[in-house]
Amino acid sequence: MKPAPFEYVAPTTVEEAVSSLSGCDGEAKLLAGGQSLMPLLNMRLARPDLVVDLGRVAALDYIRESDGRLAIGAMTSKRSVERSGLVASRQPLLHAATVLVAHPQIRNRGTVGGSMAQADPAAEYPAMAVALDAELRVVGPDGERSINAEDFFVTYLTTALQPAEVLTEIRVPVLAPGSGWAFTEVARRHGDFAMAGAAVTVTLDAGGHCADAKIVLFGVGPVPVRPRGAEQAVNGERPGEDLYRQAGRKASEEIDEPLSDVHASAEYRRHLAGVMVRRGLAEAVARAAAARGDA
Amino acid sequence: MPEVAAARKIRLKVNGVAHEALVEPRTTLADFLRGGLALTGTHVGCEHGVCGACAVLVDGTAVRSCLMLAVQADGAELMTVEGLAESDGKLHPIQEAFVEEHGLQCGFCTPGFLIAIYELLESDPSPSEEAIRDVLGGQMCRCTGYQSILRAVHSAAAKLGAARSASATPGA
Amino acid sequence: MAVEIPKRLEDLPTSARRWVGRHVQRREDAALLTGRTEFIDDVVLPRMLHCAILRSPFAHARVVKVDTREAESLPGVVAVVTGEDALRWSHPAITAPDGWGTHCIAAQKVRYVGEPVAAVAATSRYEAEDALERITVDYDPLEVVADPFRAMEESSPLVIEEKGTNVMLQRVFTWGEVDRAFADAAHVFTEKFRWNRVGANPTETFGAVCEWDPMSLDLTVRGSIQSASHFGLGRAATFGLPSNKVNVKSHPHGGSFGGKGGTRGTDIACMLSRKAGGRPVKWIEDRMEYLVSGGSQAWDRHYIASIAVDGDGRVTGLDVKLVDDLGATGEGYGAISAAKPLAAFTGPYTIPVARYDLTLVATNKLPASPYRGMGPPPHFFVLEQLMDIAARGLDIDPAEFRRRNFIPSDRFPYTIPSGNEYDSGSYEEVLDKALDLAGYAELRRQQAAAREQGRIVGIGVASAIEPGVFDWNAYAVVGMQGTGVPEGATVSIDVLGMITVRVGFAMEGQGQYTLVSQLVADYFGVEMDAVRVVQLDTQSAPPSFGPGGSRLGVAITGAVLGACERIREKMCAVTARLMQTEPANIELRDGKFTVKGMPGAEMSVPEVAGTMLARSDLLPPDVDPRPEATHVWTAPGRAPADEEGRAKSYLTAAQAVHVVGVEIDPDTGFVEIFKYVVCDDCGTRLNPAVVEGQTEGSVAQGVGVALYEEYVYDEEAQPLTTTFMDYLIPTVNEVPAMEKVAVVTPSPFTPLGAKGCGEGAIHTTPAAVMCAVNDALVPLGVLAREVPAAPKRLWKLIRAARD
Repeated sequence: MKPAPFEYVAPTTVEEAVSSLSGCDGEAKLLAGGQSLMPLLNMRLARPDLVVDLGRVAALDYIRESDGRLAIGAMTSKRSVERSGLVASRQPLLHAATVLVAHPQIRNRGTVGGSMAQADPAAEYPAMAVALDAELRVVGPDGERSINAEDFFVTYLTTALQPAEVLTEIRVPVLAPGSGWAFTEVARRHGDFAMAGAAVTVTLDAGGHCADAKIVLFGVGPVPVRPRGAEQAVNGERPGEDLYRQAGRKASEEIDEPLSDVHASAEYRRHLAGVMVRRGLAEAVARAAAARGDA
Repeated sequence: MPEVAAARKIRLKVNGVAHEALVEPRTTLADFLRGGLALTGTHVGCEHGVCGACAVLVDGTAVRSCLMLAVQADGAELMTVEGLAESDGKLHPIQEAFVEEHGLQCGFCTPGFLIAIYELLESDPSPSEEAIRDVLGGQMCRCTGYQSILRAVHSAAAKLGAARSASATPGA
Repeated sequence: MAVEIPKRLEDLPTSARRWVGRHVQRREDAALLTGRTEFIDDVVLPRMLHCAILRSPFAHARVVKVDTREAESLPGVVAVVTGEDALRWSHPAITAPDGWGTHCIAAQKVRYVGEPVAAVAATSRYEAEDALERITVDYDPLEVVADPFRAMEESSPLVIEEKGTNVMLQRVFTWGEVDRAFADAAHVFTEKFRWNRVGANPTETFGAVCEWDPMSLDLTVRGSIQSASHFGLGRAATFGLPSNKVNVKSHPHGGSFGGKGGTRGTDIACMLSRKAGGRPVKWIEDRMEYLVSGGSQAWDRHYIASIAVDGDGRVTGLDVKLVDDLGATGEGYGAISAAKPLAAFTGPYTIPVARYDLTLVATNKLPASPYRGMGPPPHFFVLEQLMDIAARGLDIDPAEFRRRNFIPSDRFPYTIPSGNEYDSGSYEEVLDKALDLAGYAELRRQQAAAREQGRIVGIGVASAIEPGVFDWNAYAVVGMQGTGVPEGATVSIDVLGMITVRVGFAMEGQGQYTLVSQLVADYFGVEMDAVRVVQLDTQSAPPSFGPGGSRLGVAITGAVLGACERIREKMCAVTARLMQTEPANIELRDGKFTVKGMPGAEMSVPEVAGTMLARSDLLPPDVDPRPEATHVWTAPGRAPADEEGRAKSYLTAAQAVHVVGVEIDPDTGFVEIFKYVVCDDCGTRLNPAVVEGQTEGSVAQGVGVALYEEYVYDEEAQPLTTTFMDYLIPTVNEVPAMEKVAVVTPSPFTPLGAKGCGEGAIHTTPAAVMCAVNDALVPLGVLAREVPAAPKRLWKLIRAARD
């Protein structure tokens, strides 16, 4: 299990990285934290001609708050996100999603941008990004553009990134006042990829009814799945176990074609997604209620 | 695919010793440490980042050396299991705790555990059970069933804590 | 010379035992903890090459053509071998059952995914793997058989055509009047069970460094080899070499659990070495090779089993039908795992008659290997589920039902229907202590309360036997020959009284080098640091099998104490001569040779040893002047098995009771273990720290196979669990905390009364966890028949029950 030969460059700026990518005749791969790419290289399942290592682009490692949003550099490690007081206080859903990723030793190297670009359908970050309506900043040969998270994930392991584009930043809004959230998943072992998971945000209106419900499922489709019917079923309703159960059922029905593998059949995944929605809603509503009480 | 890629010169410090070496870009850090620097205490168990046996400290953080290229460690300071004990052979308190609590059997996974625990206790001298389990969850052991390793982490934390408070005591 | 080996701790010649039986820190640890132990991948020899193996992507295909020309022309590539070299230089693997072996590289056809088709030796592993990509192989795919029942049909493709069948062995063993027992029974309970493939997965895979001189044909193999002597004989047979031309040096291994395998890779590296002019060739199996094509997979079993029970709740008969899918060949010795249950067929119970209908089948899966416990763990899973089913049928508490059927303490030694003799035991005491520690009555109350709330909570109480100290006769029914498994040690005392012990096995994790030091230190009254343990290769070592079959702790104790006894006799003779008395008047105690009844007339061990080494002129003429002796221990009284497979096979029978509490999440099917209690009796505990470590680790593996681990193949026999992301080894977060208590019933038959305990808890854990799972499912009226009880399976059962 040793990588096939490749050329290697380690640019120090995004611009150099972009020009390395666009100058490559064959296949080029960006190396961020390597926690997904390196196993594929070792197994010779990824066989790039050129590896462009972003590890020395120091300017991509930051967590900042501005204009009601957190801006996180693509090369920021998950460990930094996990340890960020700013993240924990301003967007706790991001913190919760982060600590569910594998183990500290993986989070030490694994980056925010790497997870996004890898776009593993069972991973936490893509679902988190869609749930928070993240904006992804991308730099390519033609300059910078931004992509909404929901448009970024195209299909299994595939994103809207063009071959010579580099993901540089992810921006997520800070938690809105009165907003409740949950990030739940079910994995065979602690730290494994999820068989199914759900990110949920919700608020309670003045009358105590659910509003602005947003549900994003992961592990059940080629990209994060947003069961809009379940969201609608929740909005305007009085929270309660029956509502959560109904939303869970609806969400699981909305899933197109769940993945199937040795750990979970499509049918089981569909069911688990519903359970995650139910549990996630209960947790999110409880937080929303608490937030309302605080206000 | 290139047939071969030109080797690059890297400089790094491992366990306080400076090294300069030529490496092919595709060489993993684990293979470089073991083959290039003859630091064979770092063990390779799965080469896909799951077992944790190959953990080393890179600039103070525990990482899987099978999931890093040697060229990425250019300029870094590393510590491997060989750097834990003192040069006169005195074991590090974490190692002592492993002996006392029978925290190892075959010992193959142990260097990875030691490194991961070292990082944990450096950053969090009295970690919660949850924090310990979070870190140990990334290290596989097939022999011990982990109970003795958990005991060893608690014991090591206590030892290090005692050593710290002894050295912090005025006049001590 | 007959040697009396101390049978009890009190028989050691010391008045203040300091080491044996005490919680002793291990001598192995300092080197392991500092990265200084030399594992096989750490070995670097001059001129060494690195091997990589090209493996079949097909489960069954003709190999039409292998073209290696391009690979051979790559820089760094020194040798390439294919099936043609294997045909020229080697014989098919020796197997059990006999005749189900193939060559180490497929020549005409491949029979499983991962079977080697070619290999390269190059100056680095990277280059060797590059070269594999330049080898082209033309395959002609054949119909695949992935299911043992399909494999038994007339129309099935044949895995090994020459055999004319895929059935490797079909036999029915009947021990007693089984039909009558079932006809007369008040109750008969029958169930089907499925145990999916699981396996050892030590954190270190297999590795070897091979040197085969093309002129002399001398062959040297270094490797992470469990039994060096056995491995050496295998290589000699494979290559048709005189056995004295093969030298094997086992390196410390990073665990084994029976699953090191590695014979094919070793043989391939040997052939590459011969082709490369005798240069050393290193082959390190990578993890994906291990999972797909290594010694990784065991116990692929389909059971139908019945027990007969009388009106008083006594089990009167056991009938087990097993179809075991051994994969493509018999090379991995998976068959002996199907034979070993004979050593403890009826578990800890007085079941008087039994039948074993055994079918071993070849399919296009990886050849099965041994794994910790070697076969009884699935058997006890089946037996213990039946015990619970019967207890429920008769409305008897499962703990009470077991108590009623336990072999009583006064009936040992006890011969079971399948022929093995259990040495000793105190089963009721073990049960009582386990129930006590678990707070069994309170647990049942909590369970009732939880059930009131609709929660799915279960308690399992299971008991099993761990056969210890194997003999080959245990596996006679699947074609293993012979009796006698030796373990030798050479003990030498130098002129300063420092003691060296030479052994033939490598460190593996069970602390036997420490045990050797404990024994010698107490025997001669020295510090443990005065004892050094040295490992020799097969051309120098005393006869040695090494670890395996829960034997080495007992066997090496016999060997070391036997050698010490022999030295003592010599030294007594010398001391008697120097003291001008008879040897019978000399006694060794606390490191001193004294003259009985003459206080003060004494010589220390170093004084006697120094005299022997320096002054042979003063010694009695018939005494060997070296304070050194070798003793080879083997289990006494082993004889070939009879026609029905009956034999005194395993020398000891340790016993355990586990009490497990589980809660199943009805929404997800996940099992949480909230209580885990172990009480075991493995006789004298020579180093309790080590025994407890073995227990804890074995529980973890038992939890793994009960709930997490499984090798999955699709219908085309393609393996789907090829990484550690899919084959789920439990981490710290999946292994429950354990409460432990012990009973000690020394074996009357072994050195110091110790019983085999290395394989340990895995005999009981899967059974106990599954008993708890099924106890939880009782209100739903469903039964978990399949291991592992993965969430997907339990969810399906729960859903079916609720629909």
